[in-house]
Amino acid sequence: MLVAIETTLIYTFLLGSLYLLVSLGFSLICGVLRIFHLGYAYIFTATIYFTWMFMSLFGWGLIPSIAAMLVIQAGIAIAIYKGLIVRYIKREEIIILGLLFVAIILEQSALRFYPIQAGVYLETTMVPGLSKIGQVTVSNQLIFAAILGIVVTGLFVLFFLKTKLGLAVRAISYDIYSSRLMGIQVERVFMFIMVLVLIPVILATLAIAPIWAVEPSMGWGYMIIAILVSVLGGLGNIRGTIIASYIIGFCNSVVGFVIAQPLYMGLSALIVVLIMLIVRPQGIAKSETVW
Amino acid sequence: MAEILKVTNISKHFGGLTAVNDVSFSINEGETVGLMGPNGAGKTTLVNMICGSYGADSGKIEFMGKDITKLPPWKRCKLGICRTYQIPRPFPELTALASVVVSALHGKDRPNRSLEDASTEATHYLEFVGLFSKRNILARDLTLFEMRGLELARALATEPKLIFIDEVMAGLNPVEAEKAVRLIERAKDQFGVTVLWIEHVMAVLMRAAERVIVLHYGEKIAEGSPQEVANNPLVIESYLGKSENA
Amino acid sequence: MELEVKRDRLVLRAGGGKWEWHIEPRYWRNPLIYVSILIIAPVVVYFVYPSLLATVIDANLLAAIAIPLALMSIGTGRMNFGPQFYIGIGGYAAALLSIHFGLNPALTLIAAALAGIVFGFIMSPLSIIAGGLYYSLLTLLLPLLFLEVTFIFSDLFKGDTGLSGIAPLVSTGSFSLNLLIYAFISLAMMLFYLFIIDKIFRSRYAVQMAAINDDEEVANGIGVNVNKTKIISFIIPAMMVAIVGWFYAHYYGAFSGQTYLPLSFMLKVFMVTMIGGRTQIYGCIIGGYFIAFLEMILIRTTGGMSPVLFPVILLALLLVLPEGLFGLYRKHHYREYMPTLRFRR
Repeated sequence: MLVAIETTLIYTFLLGSLYLLVSLGFSLICGVLRIFHLGYAYIFTATIYFTWMFMSLFGWGLIPSIAAMLVIQAGIAIAIYKGLIVRYIKREEIIILGLLFVAIILEQSALRFYPIQAGVYLETTMVPGLSKIGQVTVSNQLIFAAILGIVVTGLFVLFFLKTKLGLAVRAISYDIYSSRLMGIQVERVFMFIMVLVLIPVILATLAIAPIWAVEPSMGWGYMIIAILVSVLGGLGNIRGTIIASYIIGFCNSVVGFVIAQPLYMGLSALIVVLIMLIVRPQGIAKSETVW
Repeated sequence: MAEILKVTNISKHFGGLTAVNDVSFSINEGETVGLMGPNGAGKTTLVNMICGSYGADSGKIEFMGKDITKLPPWKRCKLGICRTYQIPRPFPELTALASVVVSALHGKDRPNRSLEDASTEATHYLEFVGLFSKRNILARDLTLFEMRGLELARALATEPKLIFIDEVMAGLNPVEAEKAVRLIERAKDQFGVTVLWIEHVMAVLMRAAERVIVLHYGEKIAEGSPQEVANNPLVIESYLGKSENA
Repeated sequence: MELEVKRDRLVLRAGGGKWEWHIEPRYWRNPLIYVSILIIAPVVVYFVYPSLLATVIDANLLAAIAIPLALMSIGTGRMNFGPQFYIGIGGYAAALLSIHFGLNPALTLIAAALAGIVFGFIMSPLSIIAGGLYYSLLTLLLPLLFLEVTFIFSDLFKGDTGLSGIAPLVSTGSFSLNLLIYAFISLAMMLFYLFIIDKIFRSRYAVQMAAINDDEEVANGIGVNVNKTKIISFIIPAMMVAIVGWFYAHYYGAFSGQTYLPLSFMLKVFMVTMIGGRTQIYGCIIGGYFIAFLEMILIRTTGGMSPVLFPVILLALLLVLPEGLFGLYRKHHYREYMPTLRFRR
């Protein structure tokens, strides 16, 4: 019994913080840009495979590869924004389909050039080894990833509450037209957001790459989590996303580690979200704004 | 005259804001009743509740002796209540004719009505409001006055017994306003509907309404003939405010 | 002697005389012409290049999925991003019943249709309670979660490899003759769907659905039972798509969720819809043939690169022709007033 409680608590914390890192970007894009970035999955795949490409093709070290990957990802994000989102802002279904296509193209390219047998592996373990907390053994890297999640989220919250740019983002999420009238350069802020949300995802992917499987289609599983967390928490609302991440983390840790049926995790999370939608369709958040 | 609508103690709260507070009134068949009040008094909320778009938090609504408080909006429409909208809400992608056809098909319980029959009926209503020549134009391409006429045609096509007309004068120039008032008078004559008319423009209500109800901050503050209401100090205060040296 | 082709007539000048022949729209607007083309085409292909019949079947099936999808989108007023869920339902129902109980295809057809209706009914409240974008997200997730379920119960669904050994619909001994018969069955199914949905779109239900699509609240206020319309226009297309899943199962003799449930298949279906013009059901046929043949050409010419190139080309098409081929037609002709699809927040 005690073990079960300990396991639940620890994994709720770990998984919840991780899911937070994964979902923060998706929720932000939904809330601020008001589009569903259904191509979100590509960021995960791109992180791993572009880094690997630089390492294997040019023989660079880990750090320079990561730096190069960051530059490319920023470029892709801006290209997506300018080429797809700005042009078709009135036609949402085109944006959604286009983003999905981008994700599929990247996934298929990765699959083609670096199939699973290629042995893609990124040595990004920051804290090796295992720890024992109470009766539960967890990987140190996972703890590191969770703490990273909390720190990054904290930084994001500080950014949105205390800085001028953060204030602009919050204003846009309330009302785009008034923000424009107040002199906020909405397009620039959007571009900034598109690049900003890459950071938590890249950090999350790099942190858990050594402990969880790496394959071209890994993005979709994380995107499903991001979608579920965002829908549960209220799209675009950081407070709601935080609460929702831990709820889903709790749900998954109970199902995955206590009841020990890890295959049911996705399904159980969906059921939780569906119930929430019936009871309170707008999610946990009080409003459709960033904070 | 029979009483067709009886509203008893209905209220509506939106969070902490009380939009409508314990309002009761009744409407008799064949009347034209005006509903007045400054902006934000709760007129549209009241109408929304009677038509079914919002549920009433408390109170009872009876129509033709039947309790309709819990019925969904489409059932209320089939019983004979319909409304127009303050800001016209046409079906943007449908033509004027198609909009009225939808009402003609669904407003009254006539399940065997075919598309052709409904179209014929719809053209009669369009002709009544004077939009027959514009029947194949997309509803969103009409002028404001025409859109209001379309709203009226759409409401009339459901063969209602009670119509709520929501601020039809807003945005119309005097010529159009005159046409609108006469149109509604003709509708009353020809189709025998009872009208609850929400309006700001006093002159219209003076002329057209037999009875006027005034709301202020969600409460009924006056009820009576237009003359009585116009001279009621509470009503004047709600519109103009208290005099400085009262 | 000189033949001049003008926009709506042919002019023939010979020896000082002039003959004009007007081409009336009713000559080429006759659906019989196109149906005949669609019927004769498989026969021609059978004699010329039989293996192309597989592509023809693919095209018919893609169109047969896209056509009910149009009905679902217009009737519920929202875009279902996971229609392939019902392919999975119908396909697995047919496959499981055929393999474990030995039911013949006619019975599995009924079962697949029933499965489609049941699951359509279970999922239909989504169209009422979930608003536009939430609805799109959840419908997007459903097939992916169904895929997860097939992996969870992999002894039943055989996970990755899928079920095989499903009784074929036709077996005449000749592979190409089989294909020809399958082609005709798929064509019949698609034309049947086309006929039904066309009739619905010309009936009073179409105006009702268009009204709901445009403004639900107002439609509710003028007496349209919005919820009933949404549920019915959810369940019927679900059943139709499930039947397509049944066809896939019996046609290939094997059925794996991995082929149909992930997003790549969904995008194919959506491109079929997009190319044809989003709610133009006749356009779906053109879209279906276009996509099926495009994929076939890509696989034959580029082989291994085709999974990468196919989405690239589709993305390019999406950006260049947002209204699909119908958009090109629309640019040159007056606006036609038909119920169209809208998104809502």
